Amino acid sequence: MTEVIAASELSKTYGEVKAVDAVTLSVRKGALFGLLGPNGSGKTTMIKLLTGQIRPTGGSAVVLGLDIVKDPIGIRERVGIIPEQETPPSFLTATEYLDFVGAVRKIPDASERAEEWFDLLEFKDKRNVLCKDLSRGTRQKLMFAQAFIHGPVLALIDEPLINFDPIMQDLVKEYLADYVKKGRTIFISTHILEVAEEICSDFAILHRGRLLHSGPVADLALRNEHLPGFFLSLVREGRHA
Amino acid sequence: MPELFRNMMKEEWRVHSTMFGSISFALFPVMIFGIAFMGAFLLPLIQAALPAGSLAVLVHANFLLLGFLVGGFGLIGNEVMNRRFGQASLLAYSARSLPLSERFIFVTFVLKDIVYYFFFWVFPFGFGYIAASPFTGIPLERTLLLLVTLTLAFLFGLCTVFILSTVYARSRAALWLAVIVLGVFWGSLAAVTGMNPALFFPPLLLYFSFSYASLVLSCALLLLLFLLSVMLFSPEYAGTVKEVKNSFSPLTRRLSFFPDPPLAAKDLLDLHRSGSVVGQTLFSFLIPLVVIWFFLSLLGPFFPPHGLLFTFAILTGVIASTMYTWVTMFDTFGPYACLPVSVSTLIRSKVSTFAVLQAVPAAFIAAVAVLTGDAPALVPAVVLCLAVSFYAVSVTVWLTGLSPNVLVYDVRVLISYLILVGIVLTIFSAVSFAGLYYALTSVVLVIPSLLFFRRAMVKWDTVDQAGF
Ligand SMILES: Nc1ncnc2c1ncn2[C@@H]1O[C@H](COP(=O)(O)OP(=O)(O)O)[C@@H](O)[C@H]1O
Ligand SMILES: [Mg+2]
Repeated sequence: MTEVIAASELSKTYGEVKAVDAVTLSVRKGALFGLLGPNGSGKTTMIKLLTGQIRPTGGSAVVLGLDIVKDPIGIRERVGIIPEQETPPSFLTATEYLDFVGAVRKIPDASERAEEWFDLLEFKDKRNVLCKDLSRGTRQKLMFAQAFIHGPVLALIDEPLINFDPIMQDLVKEYLADYVKKGRTIFISTHILEVAEEICSDFAILHRGRLLHSGPVADLALRNEHLPGFFLSLVREGRHA
Repeated sequence: MPELFRNMMKEEWRVHSTMFGSISFALFPVMIFGIAFMGAFLLPLIQAALPAGSLAVLVHANFLLLGFLVGGFGLIGNEVMNRRFGQASLLAYSARSLPLSERFIFVTFVLKDIVYYFFFWVFPFGFGYIAASPFTGIPLERTLLLLVTLTLAFLFGLCTVFILSTVYARSRAALWLAVIVLGVFWGSLAAVTGMNPALFFPPLLLYFSFSYASLVLSCALLLLLFLLSVMLFSPEYAGTVKEVKNSFSPLTRRLSFFPDPPLAAKDLLDLHRSGSVVGQTLFSFLIPLVVIWFFLSLLGPFFPPHGLLFTFAILTGVIASTMYTWVTMFDTFGPYACLPVSVSTLIRSKVSTFAVLQAVPAAFIAAVAVLTGDAPALVPAVVLCLAVSFYAVSVTVWLTGLSPNVLVYDVRVLISYLILVGIVLTIFSAVSFAGLYYALTSVVLVIPSLLFFRRAMVKWDTVDQAGF
């Protein structure tokens, strides 16, 4: 199977708002896929749909061979997810939270893996602090560790670099680029175009819930274009359409 | 203040109306009004069966109870301010970045809550009686007075728990001291006068013999309690970093008999570390129920043998069923949504934690049975209390899933709840009055409870969980 995500006419409407509007999209195995779009274009909704957190109002999608409506739990067993705004539970410490995730995901050596994450993301000194007392940046590190602790074949990350300082941003970018080299897949959403151009192998552009473009980043270079310019011209066209 | 206050009101509205539509939310006070309005027509009937004034006692006790249940601001204050709540006040949290003092934001939040509760519960209820007065022949002044004294009863409950909970947040020793002082005060009042202390409840005194002097005195007392509570509230500053011993894994192992040990361990740690076990038990359970006992026992002579205890057991069961909100309030579904945990799994886990907490009402009713010299009724009373509690929680879970605090304000939800729970309460009050062991028949409630739980699991797995 080379296709990790396959969405067909996927839609989600909230009352009048078409948050995601008939999106057909596929993501190949080994890609570092960037979903780009301005605020409110439907990126978060798309990630929630693909991970079975919400149910589509139209269309369908298959993730790792599993249907998002029929087997959302199966999908969530296999993938790692970093949501946009969620913070770890207030009354657990960082260590306890990762132990909790390990217990729910039934990872036997979760504690050892957690230690590796404390080292890698440099927050060992905070590991016995309750999550409610952690800074935003540290919480985000913890959410990062939580998503990768079981070494998932696919990780979906909503705005991965938000809340990180430049040093951490570099570290994370490097980690993600390295992660896909072993044949695993990363799906990120972002509105920071430079980041996408720098690390993504493929990208798609979402605007008001509609998919305007999808393809490899390398194609742009062939056409001698840069992502920010390409994005802006597409979105402006979309606006007039 | 006005600006922040207005925005907080709007936010409260938004949270509720996005979850089930503005109309359902706006109809809520209308429904309370309707209940009171129609209830007013039953008054002559009820009055014929009960001694004069006892209905007034019960209604005041109800509003006192409502005040008790919503007054724990000291307990939840810092949760609200730090946005740790499921249905968090985003605004209270984000206002922290404005140049406003924490105390100021907190007071605004408390006032907003009081205003909301007043307009959603107290006012429509009192107004229902007022509107019915031309038809029922109850003099208008009496109904106006009732609105005033019910408001006072509500505020007395609220301010009492407000101050006790802020004291609790500062020092547990001071709280126990305060509780003992209050107990001794009311106890000696009872001993000296030889009367039930509930008769000295200021709003009741006021209702039975009105005078402006005592009205002013009551208001002054309330204001004093409120100001003291606000002064005692101690904002906890973010950045107070404490190291905590790792208790999760050992606890998970000890809870291996639970359906979902890690989820149960997390719930218990939440309850323990947020101070809810002691705090909620005291403020949302023990204090309200002990006080209600005194009000209810005013009617003691009119009950059949053991009837007072059985009625109290039913009431305790209903209050005990709200312990479900203790285990849902610190949790949004968000963190579970990135894990392979379905809504039904989480509900199952919350209900099993809830089941453990039911040791508290069971022990409480057993103690009441013994202390009031009604030990023979102990077993039937405990069974009745637990059966009612599990049945009421199964209805709650079926109707509200993981968001009981938000969804009660959906009119459809509240009506269904009142009907489903009301019928059962009526039946089992009547049955338990029939004789000492008739209350044991309440075990049959296990069957509808299981059905509601099963249907709840199916229902809530197909509903998107809103993350606030
Ligand atoms: N639960 C919801 N209820 C109503 N509208 C929603 C909900 N979630 C998202 N939306 C709307 O859907 C659109 C897309 O939102 P979102 O997916 O969060 O965009 P993005 O992540 O690209 O900023 C927005 O207009 C947003 O207001
Ligand atoms: Mg988003």
